[in-house]
Amino acid sequence: MKRRGLFLIVVVMLFCSFTVAYGAETIKIGALYTMTGRGGQYGKDSEVAIKMAVDEVNAKGLPGGAKLEVIITDDKNPQYAVSVAKRYISDEKVKFLFGIISSAIGLAVTEVSKEQKVIFIGTDHAATDLTANKFQKYYFRSANNTFQSMMAGAMYLKDEVKGWKKIAYIGPDYAYGRDQWMELKWGLDKLGVKYQVVGEYWPKLYEPDYTSYITAIMKAAPDILVSGFWGGDTVSFIKQAKPYKLFEKMKYFHVDAGGNYEALAALGGDMPAGIILSARHHNNWPDTQANKAYVQKFYKAAGRYPSYAAEGAYVGIHMIAEAIRKVGNANDTEALVKAMEGMKVQCPEDPSGFTSYIDPKTHQIVQVQAIGVTVKNAKFPPAKYMLGNLKVYPADKLWPSFEYIDYLTKQKGK
Amino acid sequence: MDLTTFVSQFISGLSVAMLLFLIASGLTLIFGVVNVLNFAHGSFYLLGTYFAYQSMQFFDNFWLGLIVGTVCAGVVGMIVEFFFLKRIYGRAEEGAFQLLMTYAFILILDDMVKFIWGPEYKTIPKPELLAGSFNIGSVVVPLYTLFIIVVGFVVVLLAWYFLMRTDKGKMVRASSLDREMLGLLGTNVPMIMTLVFGVATAMGGLAGVMAAPLRTVTPGAGVEVIIDSLIVVVIGGFGNFWGALLGALIIGEVLSFGILWMPEMATVLTFIVMIVVLVIKPEGLLSPKATGRK
Amino acid sequence: MKSLRQYLPWILYFVFFLGVLAVNPGAHYTHLLARVIIFGLYAVAFNLLFGRTGLVSFGHALFYGIGAYITGMLAKASGPDLFLLYILLGGIGAAIVSVFIGLLSLRLTGMFFTMLTLAFAQLAWGITFKLYNFTGGDDGIQAIPKPAYLTGPVWKYYFFSFVVVTICVFVIWRISRSSFGMVLKGIRQNPGRITFMGLNVYKNQLVAYIISAFFTAIAGGLYAGLDGSIHPDMLHWPTSGNAILMCTIGGMNTFFGPVIGAAILTGLEEIVGKYTEYWSFSIGVVVLVVVLLFPRGLLGIKWPWGRKSTTEEKETEVACNTGD
Repeated sequence: MKRRGLFLIVVVMLFCSFTVAYGAETIKIGALYTMTGRGGQYGKDSEVAIKMAVDEVNAKGLPGGAKLEVIITDDKNPQYAVSVAKRYISDEKVKFLFGIISSAIGLAVTEVSKEQKVIFIGTDHAATDLTANKFQKYYFRSANNTFQSMMAGAMYLKDEVKGWKKIAYIGPDYAYGRDQWMELKWGLDKLGVKYQVVGEYWPKLYEPDYTSYITAIMKAAPDILVSGFWGGDTVSFIKQAKPYKLFEKMKYFHVDAGGNYEALAALGGDMPAGIILSARHHNNWPDTQANKAYVQKFYKAAGRYPSYAAEGAYVGIHMIAEAIRKVGNANDTEALVKAMEGMKVQCPEDPSGFTSYIDPKTHQIVQVQAIGVTVKNAKFPPAKYMLGNLKVYPADKLWPSFEYIDYLTKQKGK
Repeated sequence: MDLTTFVSQFISGLSVAMLLFLIASGLTLIFGVVNVLNFAHGSFYLLGTYFAYQSMQFFDNFWLGLIVGTVCAGVVGMIVEFFFLKRIYGRAEEGAFQLLMTYAFILILDDMVKFIWGPEYKTIPKPELLAGSFNIGSVVVPLYTLFIIVVGFVVVLLAWYFLMRTDKGKMVRASSLDREMLGLLGTNVPMIMTLVFGVATAMGGLAGVMAAPLRTVTPGAGVEVIIDSLIVVVIGGFGNFWGALLGALIIGEVLSFGILWMPEMATVLTFIVMIVVLVIKPEGLLSPKATGRK
Repeated sequence: MKSLRQYLPWILYFVFFLGVLAVNPGAHYTHLLARVIIFGLYAVAFNLLFGRTGLVSFGHALFYGIGAYITGMLAKASGPDLFLLYILLGGIGAAIVSVFIGLLSLRLTGMFFTMLTLAFAQLAWGITFKLYNFTGGDDGIQAIPKPAYLTGPVWKYYFFSFVVVTICVFVIWRISRSSFGMVLKGIRQNPGRITFMGLNVYKNQLVAYIISAFFTAIAGGLYAGLDGSIHPDMLHWPTSGNAILMCTIGGMNTFFGPVIGAAILTGLEEIVGKYTEYWSFSIGVVVLVVVLLFPRGLLGIKWPWGRKSTTEEKETEVACNTGD
């Protein structure tokens, strides 16, 4: 009996020492991504990029030999996502909440982060609100918001497109579509551009058939058609508008998600040349070693090229690692927040000579924006057109804009 | 409104309506004859698209893909009806079980599509032949739009011929009116039901393939079309084939002209039309089938 | 003995949901149980219409959403002091809306009624989605305040929900055992007979519809406070489908079946979502199995060991049936 007791004690002690050496130093990150339906591709791309980044971070090492571990769950809807986020915190003891494609879900989860004082890194949802009127100090975003895209867009329209006056908008009828149009108009007004709005069209999100909208837009005959679709809606609209020769009659302008790789890939040869697009990350720009290496590594891991969602996730993991290195552990949340404020983060999308950084006041990553036009380029199949002739807009001109934050707060409230 | 605008919006509305009709007609046929509300009808639309995609990966021929997608969707439909739906016919609260079972099939089929073909958007290019467009005066009409409209009318004509002019069609119409009597007369009613379910889901598959070159091929596309199709069926009169045509035309054209005057209202326009119709005629515009109205 | 049997499900109900507080399973599981009990009320309220009266509504998300939005928006706009009143107002709002929808849709029966309810719910969803300045659109409304006595650890809100839900469930229980409840049962089994008896089927159905809408909205209002956020998803058709699902899984012909169904569905979502991204496939298969093999739900299963059984499911079923 005695011997057995002793044996047990030894086993327990061994077990404890193992947990001290390995288990206790696993830093958990609780990620939520859309894995089904239209947004599923962004979730899957993010998953691949997270794995890449975690492997890199763990190979390089963290203070005290800690390892990162990421748990990913399909977020489904805001109610469910909130429940999962709470489980992550109370049961899985995650130190960070992470990810999220949909702004609606992001807005719900940022409340959990605020209430439970757990850092939340947003990697793909782009509603400006989260780093403006709905700002809370535990929230950080590793990809740009729609305002940064649209402000750069306003500058592009002012400088690069000549002799236009009439402008029309088409975008999905929900916050993402509405915000982009408000932001672009605000940007144009700010820059003193004179324009005349000849039409606003609000199809529902995931509208399958745009035919009637297309003929109505042709009739309104704007010089510039601004589009606020994302993902599959971009693909459907362009496929359906092309035979109407819409892209020959007006300039198509779509700078938040229009140039996202999955749309370029799905359109293939159906993509018209010369339309103005941008995205939060480009596979073919900048032509730096870091970006090429990132894109090729992703391709090796997934068998396809990444959409921009992947970069946000990839950068987010590196942001966390960098903050932990600065603080020395992942337990002091307040110190981690301080460490991230103003932190420099080298992203694949940074052109040489520039490093993205976190704005200390709004916790928004500040990055350059590059807007281009579609040109034939089959280096990233199945896409047949990629962006070329890119114009680059300096990061600090785009964010933070406290004037806009005030305006937004007035429009939407806190 | 000038004539050009009128004609171009009208044609747009017609093409929207025809794709809606192709989906909705299958839905209404199933309800009328088999007496099932096939909430999973959108999933057969989705399956048609993906089967066509797979066929085009092998043979790179749109027309073959069109046939493969249509037939395979129909075959899966018959399997679902024969092995699953048949088991709940005649149960108490059958309606609720139909909803649950077809809902289960939405969940299962959509996830299977994602599992087999992956989450990324696929591309089904238009056939070379139909890539261009032509002009009527100053109205631009893409050939593919014309193709959709023509196919829609061909389906309408074939259906009319089949239902009104053939013996089999008479049997189908009879089974939608009095199933038991037909069975007593020696007709194999269960067989008719399976076949009708197959034909109807094949029409859903056909719509899926036809729409694919214009839309995004992605898991989840099926759920996105089902609500609109249900609205069409509700407006036209549940279970009435011609009602589906009428409902689709109304929705297509109202949307098409509505956005000229009320672009702000586009997302709720279809719901408003539906509610107006239902307040006036709760059983839908055309309804020869007993609707249970009190 | 009979009275004990009759109240056994209630005893189990109290032991389980209050026992949880004594055990204190931690913040997450308390939150999960709060969801279970709120969905439980939703399902029981729905079942008054579905299992009892035999009306398959596919639009109850509408009332659930109305409750959530009225409660949430009032609390957001004018502070949480009168939170309980706002929940009640949510119920009343839903009841008023249900009068109009009931008057229109109850003119039809069977699948036509089902489709009409779906149509109205989808319209409401579309409008909520659309009126972004008022309802927050797709983003919904966050940071809905709760009164001071409910903030802090989640067990407080759980206990609050438990009290509200228990009162509501008890009222529904009494209603379904009243003579009105018997009339509803008669309508499901044989509407013709009810007419023969000189009773108006339409009017009784309408009253059942309104009561069901009222309590559904109370559940919605409770949920608005639980997470402090509301979304148009609450009005979308899957929410309506969930009600049918919960009742069927638990047993639509029993009174407490829907509560068990709510627990199973919530637990299933939780577990399946944790281990696989193919949750929708998994849930689909479960639904298929339930529909094909256990159409009477968990509480409706005829256990092979028959009446001797002392399992709680059996007792519950017996207790509920003897009361009918």
